[in-house]
Amino acid sequence: MTNHPPNGSLLLIHSHYGEPPGLFLLAEERGDAVIVRERDLTPAHFTAARGLITTSHLDQLGFMDHAPELARLMARGGRWFFNGHILRPFLAGLGSYAPIAKARRADLVLTRLNEHPIFAGIDQPSFEENKGVAGFYGRGHNPLPQGALAINGIGPEKQPIDWEWTLPGGGRMFSHAGNDIGGMGGPNPNHALVAPRIIAWTMGEI
Amino acid sequence: MSASGKPVMAIIDGGQHYHHDSITREPFKDFFDHVVYLRDVAKTDLSAFDILIIPCRTNAYFLAPLSGQLQAFMREGGTLVAMGETFPDSWLPDIGFRPMQTNFWWWLTPGADLGLRMSDPGHAVSRYLGKDDVTFHLHGAFEPLHPNQKSLVETAEGECQMFEDVVSYAPGRLVATTLDPFFHHGAFFMPATTRMLAGMLPWLSESEAERKAARTA
Repeated sequence: MTNHPPNGSLLLIHSHYGEPPGLFLLAEERGDAVIVRERDLTPAHFTAARGLITTSHLDQLGFMDHAPELARLMARGGRWFFNGHILRPFLAGLGSYAPIAKARRADLVLTRLNEHPIFAGIDQPSFEENKGVAGFYGRGHNPLPQGALAINGIGPEKQPIDWEWTLPGGGRMFSHAGNDIGGMGGPNPNHALVAPRIIAWTMGEI
Repeated sequence: MSASGKPVMAIIDGGQHYHHDSITREPFKDFFDHVVYLRDVAKTDLSAFDILIIPCRTNAYFLAPLSGQLQAFMREGGTLVAMGETFPDSWLPDIGFRPMQTNFWWWLTPGADLGLRMSDPGHAVSRYLGKDDVTFHLHGAFEPLHPNQKSLVETAEGECQMFEDVVSYAPGRLVATTLDPFFHHGAFFMPATTRMLAGMLPWLSESEAERKAARTA
């Protein structure tokens, strides 16, 4: 285990084979980020962390084993940026992902519901398409926990595809129910814009 | 083999949401007789299965320590199926792999053709899968191809995208593909990936039944 900064590290769980994602490599430049492959993840990584980012490749069955450490991270005011479809109740109050059945283009419209520092100044519909193709951003939603704030909605019913939740016991979670956002160098320049903001939010700086 | 004579098909669940959604939802959930969580494979008796599928993007860092067990499964007669982005070149011998930059956008050009095709129209798999079912995008190619690896799907340039090897682990077999339909189907994306699974799963099951019948005849 590396030396951790006194204020806590940014824990980045690397869940797939190969190079870590661009967002993680960007975060690594800060000096307080720790990239850990899932096989090597221990409770001590959570104990040392202030913030946590997980990707859509997360082994959610294995991650459930870390639910107690995750709860303690949140209880001391930590933050977690989650990408993907929730399968398990990692924290009390979370529900399972709801996909849009046979999504058509109209089902994939995005709407800003409440302002958020990660998305400040970004026109949310500009996230809808990559090269004219819709659906990469996400195709459903993770249910909004009680007391959470919906940030972006999807489809005509504006289901909460993005939300931020201040937990009753402390700590904050951001849920993005789709492909990882903040990837660098992709076809949609919005991702490069939000990448440093996701890192800053996760560390409680914005 | 089950009492009905139907091969027992098992699949590994790597814990990713797209595995869960492919394995537990319609239309494919009834294909899988057993679901084994990736971290439980080492303590699982694989001899109860005829087919073991490692779905797309199963974390190869966890597969590497299982290499001996997976090879033994094949040598005892099982069919192992390594799907796209599981990088079997990193955990099985004699597999060559050349990654490619993925072009997700080729189909936006009118009249474009990714160029994929069934390598051998006379092979049984070609009764289950056609060009349109395997055409979505490329992540790489198996090369160099070992003489025991018979190409089933290839590019216009002959680069192998799926092979079957019935020799190296006889009486078992290895099927491997660079294509990743479980990932995209499980993410509710790309209809061709659903079609590929709809053809590939029955082919695996029915060809396994034929192999078993031939061995016991």
